This record gives sequence, structure tokens and C-alpha cells, in this order.
Amino acid sequence: MRWHRLAAIVRKEILQIRRDLPSLLITVAMPLLLMLGFGYGVSFDIRHIPVYVYDRESSQQSQDFLKRFQASEYFNVMKTVDNYQAVIQALDAGACRLAIVIPVNFSEQLKTGGPVSVQALIDATDNNTANVSISYSEAVVQTYNQQIQLEWLQRHGQARLQPPLKVDARTWFNEDLESTANIVPGVVAIIMAVIGSFLTSLTIAREWERGTMEQLVSTPVTPLELMVGKLVPYFVIGLLDTALCAGMAIWWFEVPFRGQWSVFFLSCTLFLIVVLSLGYFVSVVAKSQLAASQAALIATFLPAFLLSGFIYPIDQMPAVIQVTTHLIPARYFMTIIRDVFLKGTSLPLLLDDLLALALFAVLLTILATRAFQKKLS
Amino acid sequence: MLGRLRGMLIKEFIQVFRDKRSRFLLFGPPVIQMLVFGYAATLEIRHIPTAVLDFDNSQVSRDLLSRFTASPYFDVRARLNDRRQIGELIDRGDVTVALQIHAGFAQDLRKGRTARLQVIVDSSVSNTALIAVGYVNQIAGRFSQDYQRERLFSTSPLVQSQLPSIVLDRRPWFNTDFDSQWFFVPGVIGNLILVMVVSLTAFAVVREREIGTLEQIMVTPIGRLEFILGKTVPFFLIGLLDTTLISLVGTLWFGVPLRGSIGVLAIGAILFILCMLGIGLFISTISMTQQQAMVSGFFFNMPAITFSGFATPISSMPEFMQWLTYLNPLRYFLDVLRGVYLKGVGLDVLWPQMTAMGVLGLVMLTISVARFHKSLD
Amino acid sequence: MTDNDAPPVIVRDLVKRFGDFVAVDRINLEARRGEIVGFLGPNGAGKSTTIRMLCGLLRPTAGQALVAGYDVAREPERVRQRIGYMSQKFSLYNDLRVIENIRFFASLYEVPDSVLKERVSWILDMAGLSGRKSTLTGTLPSGWKQRLALGCAVLHRPPILFLDEPTSGVDPISRRQFWELIHTMAAEGVTVLVTTHYMDEAEYCNRLVLIFQGRIVASGSPTELKQRAMTGELVLVECAPLGLALDLLRQTPDVADAAVFGNALHVVVPEARTMIPRLRTHLSQHGVIVARMEPIRPSLEDVFVSLTAAQGAGGKA
Repeated sequence: MRWHRLAAIVRKEILQIRRDLPSLLITVAMPLLLMLGFGYGVSFDIRHIPVYVYDRESSQQSQDFLKRFQASEYFNVMKTVDNYQAVIQALDAGACRLAIVIPVNFSEQLKTGGPVSVQALIDATDNNTANVSISYSEAVVQTYNQQIQLEWLQRHGQARLQPPLKVDARTWFNEDLESTANIVPGVVAIIMAVIGSFLTSLTIAREWERGTMEQLVSTPVTPLELMVGKLVPYFVIGLLDTALCAGMAIWWFEVPFRGQWSVFFLSCTLFLIVVLSLGYFVSVVAKSQLAASQAALIATFLPAFLLSGFIYPIDQMPAVIQVTTHLIPARYFMTIIRDVFLKGTSLPLLLDDLLALALFAVLLTILATRAFQKKLS
Repeated sequence: MLGRLRGMLIKEFIQVFRDKRSRFLLFGPPVIQMLVFGYAATLEIRHIPTAVLDFDNSQVSRDLLSRFTASPYFDVRARLNDRRQIGELIDRGDVTVALQIHAGFAQDLRKGRTARLQVIVDSSVSNTALIAVGYVNQIAGRFSQDYQRERLFSTSPLVQSQLPSIVLDRRPWFNTDFDSQWFFVPGVIGNLILVMVVSLTAFAVVREREIGTLEQIMVTPIGRLEFILGKTVPFFLIGLLDTTLISLVGTLWFGVPLRGSIGVLAIGAILFILCMLGIGLFISTISMTQQQAMVSGFFFNMPAITFSGFATPISSMPEFMQWLTYLNPLRYFLDVLRGVYLKGVGLDVLWPQMTAMGVLGLVMLTISVARFHKSLD
Repeated sequence: MTDNDAPPVIVRDLVKRFGDFVAVDRINLEARRGEIVGFLGPNGAGKSTTIRMLCGLLRPTAGQALVAGYDVAREPERVRQRIGYMSQKFSLYNDLRVIENIRFFASLYEVPDSVLKERVSWILDMAGLSGRKSTLTGTLPSGWKQRLALGCAVLHRPPILFLDEPTSGVDPISRRQFWELIHTMAAEGVTVLVTTHYMDEAEYCNRLVLIFQGRIVASGSPTELKQRAMTGELVLVECAPLGLALDLLRQTPDVADAAVFGNALHVVVPEARTMIPRLRTHLSQHGVIVARMEPIRPSLEDVFVSLTAAQGAGGKA
């Protein structure tokens, strides 16, 4: 490796990036967009579930019960209807996700005692939201039950009854169960995958398409020098973007950062090397810019989005896919970055994941330079 | 006029289908993505890795814990005897939930005091944590009720039989087994069509501009509309073909039921593809290079997918964003896809979505066509 | 509207501005039927911009251009029916076969089926591609590509042909063949407007238009230009050292201009016969060894250099 040649390539690359104002803007705008988009758009804090109610009794008590739904921030009682048809229509059209139907003799039955069944019609199309809304409805019903049972027992002289079991839940690392705290650090990983692979694969494929690459190759530059030289500026941009995202995560989305910055930057560096060499590899193999961008998308962005545990938990996937995720570098980085942000995990516990990333970095660098040499011969 | 259009179409089709690689790019990635998404995209939470720590070790405490062992949602992996182990396991990410029963648990219950079930949840993955807490509460609630009933029954059976309570009668519709593939597969169809059609269209024009052939075409007497039609009709057809292909994968491979009419689905797909053609063309009018087209495409695709209700419900997004989703064609197409697939509804329910897509498509196409000039400045 | 005697191309006070930059500054021009008009000038002089305006690819900022009797700004579509255009960038589809490219452009120009077959074989013949019509265009050598592109540009037999540096990157033999084609077409009555910066190519034109900084600085036949531009006679001087000789000559009164041309100097003097002995002694006295010194006929390159130099100096003054 000759430093002056390397420096020349780096300088050229920086000049080109600097002149290419749109690309430069993108390196700033893309992280911002992704950060805001995912930060606000991907929320598992399921709230305001649209609810219809069909109160066939319409008594003091039924109203009282329904008020519990109204009061909950998880539900948004949109409408009270007076026939089944309207309920069915609303579910069909997606106007509500949940419909509560109170039976005709609701208060009567409660008075005489025994269980009264209240129907919860759930649009289970979205199974996750459906599950959550069941959980919340059960919680509403249980609280109400406790209250009326207590009253009833008091009236019958059994006043000392208390709820036998209380769940005392402690949520560690993300006390308020806010999904931004969970999603936002993950977005940092996604952005790095995108910037790294997407931009590099395109800029290098462009150089092939325009024929300037042949010019470069005809000089005494070695493949490794060329690769490193081309990637250094993007590496710097990637790191700046990472810092930008981390800043946004901490100050804008108020995600706690509990780990060490050194661990954070070490893992970021490794992951950037991985995605940059992957992007480089793709651009060497792909024939055109279109093919390069498609391939980069499939090789980096999608796995980082789908198979890294960013949104979809890995342990819920079929076994084959779970095994496959071990081949996805983003998987390891996702674990590291979340642990560093929320758990404040220190280096020793993350060693396995860091080693995996390092291994990928070495492998991909070798693979990319090999592919480059093969393409030339 | 028809002769020129025919010439354009023949040329486009030859170019698109010439070599194996480009043929593969049209149909391979959508199918692969469909398969990966179908398996990986699940928000179902089952088999949550759980540790238990029972300091009481009584009949009752074992009864309570056995309810967790029997539940499909929890997977009891470790039985501990030291409180410190919990921290270790959670830090390492080996378990997500730890249940702890204090000594004297049975005694508390017997004496009518409220006993506590301590739950520690790793909430760095907030959705899993949220759902886990929900399940714990449900199991604990059930346990409470059963325990209370039994106690009352042994002391005063009459009172027990008259104790009022409300039972939630859950009736999930459309996706009765809460199968997340049923939820995601129709959504993925929408996503893939969006990405494919937008990027293909945008690239088709910009590539010609970059290579210089666009200039050559502009000096021929070809009409603006002929050119645009020649460029878009192939992608329209490819979009429809892709829709059919991945719908087949969804139905035949993943077994997602198609309950509604194929005709309604086709109308929705056609309207949606028209919208995407409009977007793709628009991007091609603002991009000079393929790289710019790629990036502009990304800037459209990401928010469009995030804010469509694809993974998380629109009703949980910030209100401002909720308003913006009305401009998002994917939002409507997802309604159509899920409506036709899972709910089996027809035009009588989906006409607002169809109208919205029609209007959006018309507006987008008009703007793009108006912006497209047969000149270089 | 189309008058047979009217010149096919009429340009009046044509202006094109990009922001503050004036690319084309009040150009006036007429081209007759069957005439080959060459646009000569350095890169960025405004040649391509002018041609692009005439094709309707760029909108003129001011002035008027009539091509085949139609205003390019107002009726670009009518103009496009009647012109052929070929640009410096090779602009056929590399991923289409030869015959597919021809068919495609034929359909855009709506060449009737009845004549298509004959035109196709004409192009293949002319481009030397007979028997290679199923070759992928991208794999052809550049000379072949260029002739194929020309063929596609004239598929509809346009009366006017615009060529924007058509032979850049093509070998000399192919260039010659290319120009023979152009001449044949001109002889058949096609008006050709061509930009180039190859001086030898300029000699092929009936008329040359020298463009510099967006303006026409001279125009006329190659011979006319050579006579008009040179106020004086041209002397070739082969000597060493070149630099010293150049300085000496430039200081000599009566020497109008001196410039390096290859490994020799070109010197402009009022009268060669009397000046040559004087210059020879002058140089020898200062230690310059003169190998050769003789009057020569000016080439277009000399004309070009002297005219643009005069213009440049005039611009600064």
C-alpha cells in the first residue's frame, strides 16, 4: 500500500463528492428522513384503537362499563351504533378494529349474579394490533370486575376481600415501554447500511459505466489501494451520519444512552467497514447502475430491515430463517447498538457480536478485492 | 401515431427481456422478497424466553408457575435460586422475562392479603415487552379469579355462585388464528409493486437521458404522449404480471385465503400501478442521473411504506402524520388488498379507496406528463 | 408556406442565454439547398448549442430560426419531420441489434413499410453492415456505429441534416468514408450543417462559419477564409532553439504574428520574398540554427488561430 497513491484517490473522491451537491445533501437528508420517518412512523405503542360500541341495553350500568373504554388512552370510542349491521359494516370497512356489544339484559344478569358475557368483535386482520387490543380490553374488564365484585361482597357482608394477586412488573432498560427507545437506535443501523452500500455501490457502478474506472485501473494503483481510497470518504461520511443520528436519538427522541462511547464507535467502525465493502463488492459484480442499486437494496437494506431484529423479533421466525440471520452482519450490529444505548452493556458481553462483525469485515474486503481482480482479467 | 407507439413498445420490450439477467431482475427479487417477508415479517410473540425464581415453592406458587409453563406464549428456560442470576440472564439477552415469587406467597394468599408476583422484563425490545406484560397480566388475572372463586366456594358456596362478573367473549374476525402471515403477505404485495414500478419507471427514462438516446428520440417527430405511453405501458404490464406472480405465491405457498373477488383486486392493482407510474415519471423528470433517480425513489418509497399501515396501525401515529397518510396511495391499496384477501369485501365497501387512488393517480400522471418536455432546458 | 427557392435554414439574431452566460450571441446564417455548412470553433464556443436550437432541443432566448420554412420555437414538431440529427454522443441503443435499432427509428419517423426494406438494405450497405444485422449494436467498432447512426438519422430522407461532431472518436479511414457519404447526400440536395473541430474535415465543407465566444467571427468558403484572414504571407521556420527564435521573431518589426506549430514556427509577414533573407540573418546573428525557411500556403488551422487570436485581442481591448 503506497500512501501517496492512496491519498490521491481519496482526494479525487472527496473532490467529486464535494462537487456533487445533490449527493452531499442526500448524505444529510437521508438520515434525517429515515430517523424522523421511522421514529414517528414505526410505533408499537398501540393507542387510540378505533372502537365501535353497540349497547343493546343502554342502562346506567352498561354506560358505566363502556365509559371505562372511553377513559382508556388505548381506545378511541368512535361511535355508538344501534344495530349489528352497522357493526359489521364498520369492521368490513376498517372504520373500527374492535366492537363491543353489550347484551340486552346486561345489568339484570349482573344483579342476579354469575358471569355475563360481553362480545368483543375484533378485526384480527392485523394480528398484532388485535392481540394488543384483546390484552387491553381484558385489563379493562378485570378492573371493572374487581370493582363490582368488591361492591357486591360488601353488600353481602364479606368486606375484607382483596384482590389476591397483584402483578408487580418492572421493565428494565426502557422503563416506559416506549417504542421510540427501541426503534430509534435500530434506525442508526439501518441508516449506516443504506449510506454504506447504496451510495458506494452507485458511485462505483457509475465509474464503471462511464469508463473512468478503466483509466484508474491502468495506473499502478493496486486493487486494495483503489478500494480503500474510494471508500475512505464514504467512511467519514458514514461516521458523521452516525454521529448525527446518535445526536438526534439522544436529543430529539430522548433515548437514553447508557453505554460507553468507545464501544459505540468501535462497533460503528466495524459495521461501516462491512457495509462499505459489501457495497463495493456489489458494484464490482453488477453490470449497470440499475443492477447495482437493486442488488445493494436486496443485499443490505432488506436484510438489515427484515432479518436483523430491527422490527421483527428473530426468535419468532422459522428455524431456517433464524439460522440465516447469522449471516446478516446487521443482526450483530443491531444487538450491539441496542445494548449500548439501552442496557449500557460493556465490552466483554458484546465481544461475540463484535468478533462476528470483524470477521465479516475481513471476509468482505478479501471478497471484494478478489472480485475486482477477476473482473479485470 | 400507432406506428410510432408500436415501435416504442417493441423496443422497450426487447430491451427489458433481452438478457437473462434483466429478466431475472424483473421477477426474481419480488418473489424472493415475498418469501423472506412472508417468513420473517411477524410480530407475533410466542415462546418468550422466561426464567422463574420461586422462593415460596408451595402448592399455590407451583400452580401459578405451571400456568406459564403451559402457555404457548412463555418458554420457561431456567429455574433459578439466586436473585442475582436474573440480572445476568437478562443482560446477556438469554431471557426476556423473569418471574419471581417471594417467600410466604401462599401464606399471604391464605390470609387474604394481596400476594405479589414480581415480573422483570427486558424492555429494550419494547413491542415484545409490551405484549409479554400483557400476557403476564392475563394469566395472573385468570389465576386471581380462580383463586378467589375457590376460596369463596369453600367458605360460602352460595355467595360464590352469585358473584357478578363480566366475561369477555372474544370473537376474532377475518384472521381467526391470528396468523401474521395472513396479515403481512397481502401488505408485501403492495410494497413490492410500489418499489418495482416506481424504480423501473424512473430508471427507464433517466437511463436514456444519461446515455444520450433520449436526445436522439427527442429530435424525432414522436409525440410526448407516445413517448410516455411507450415508456410506461411495459412497466404497467410488468407491474400487473408481478402482482399476479406474488399473489400466487401468497395464496399457493403461504395459504393466505383470497376471499373476495379477483376482479376487485385487479381494479385496485391497476389504479395503484397507475399512481406508481405517475410517481416514477415524476422522479424521472426531476433527475438527471440514475443515481439521483435512485435516491429520489428511496425518498419516496421509505415514507410511503412506513406511513401506510403496512406494519403498524396508522391510528397509533402522530396525528399530523395520520393526515398525511391520506395522500399515500399505498394506504388505500393496503386497505384494498387486506379487504379483498381477508375480509372478502367488494366495491360496495372499497369504493372510497378506489376513488382516492383514481384521483391521486390522475393528479400524479397529469403533473408528470405536464412536466415532461421534449426539450433539454 | 414552404417556398422551394427559400433557403432551408435561416437564422436571424439567434440568442441563447443560460443564466448570465451568453452561449450564442446574435447569430445570423443562411444555408442553401445541397450546401454543407461547417461550424468551426473551440469547445464551448456555442456550436452545439446553435445546432440544438435548430433541432428544437433548446428554446432560443431571442431571435428566430426557420428550418425547412418552420419556426423552430413555434413549430418544433413540423421541423422534426424534416430533419435528421446525429450528436457527438453515440445515441443508438447498444443493447438492441442493428436491425432492431433501424426498425425502431423507422417507426418513430413513420417510414412506410413499402420503402422500409429498401431503406434497411441501403443503410446496411452504406454502413458496411450487410450480413451483420443481428449483431448487438454495442459490440460494433465505433466507425460502424457512427455510420449506422447516420443511417438511422436519415431513414426518412430529411432534406436537412444536423451533425454535431459526428466523427469524434472515429479512425481516419472511417472518417473519410463518412464524409464521402455526406457529400453524396449533399449532391442529392440535402442541406448539411455540421460542427467539428477537425481542421481537415472543415476542408470538406462548402462554407465555413467560425464561431468564437458565441459569435460568428468569420464565414466563407475554406479558400475565401484563408485569403481573407491572412493579411500577409505565411513563412514556415524550422530552427533550434524554438523558444529563443519565437521571442526574437516577435520582437522583429514587420512580423505580424509568430506561433508554434508542431516542431516549427509559422510567421506572418507582409511579403515573404523580401523578408526571408532578413529573418534568416537576424536569427543566425543571435545563435539560432535555421534548418528551413520557406513560404507556405496557410492551412485552415492558421486561419482559425489568427482569427480567434484577433478576436480575443479585440475582446480585451
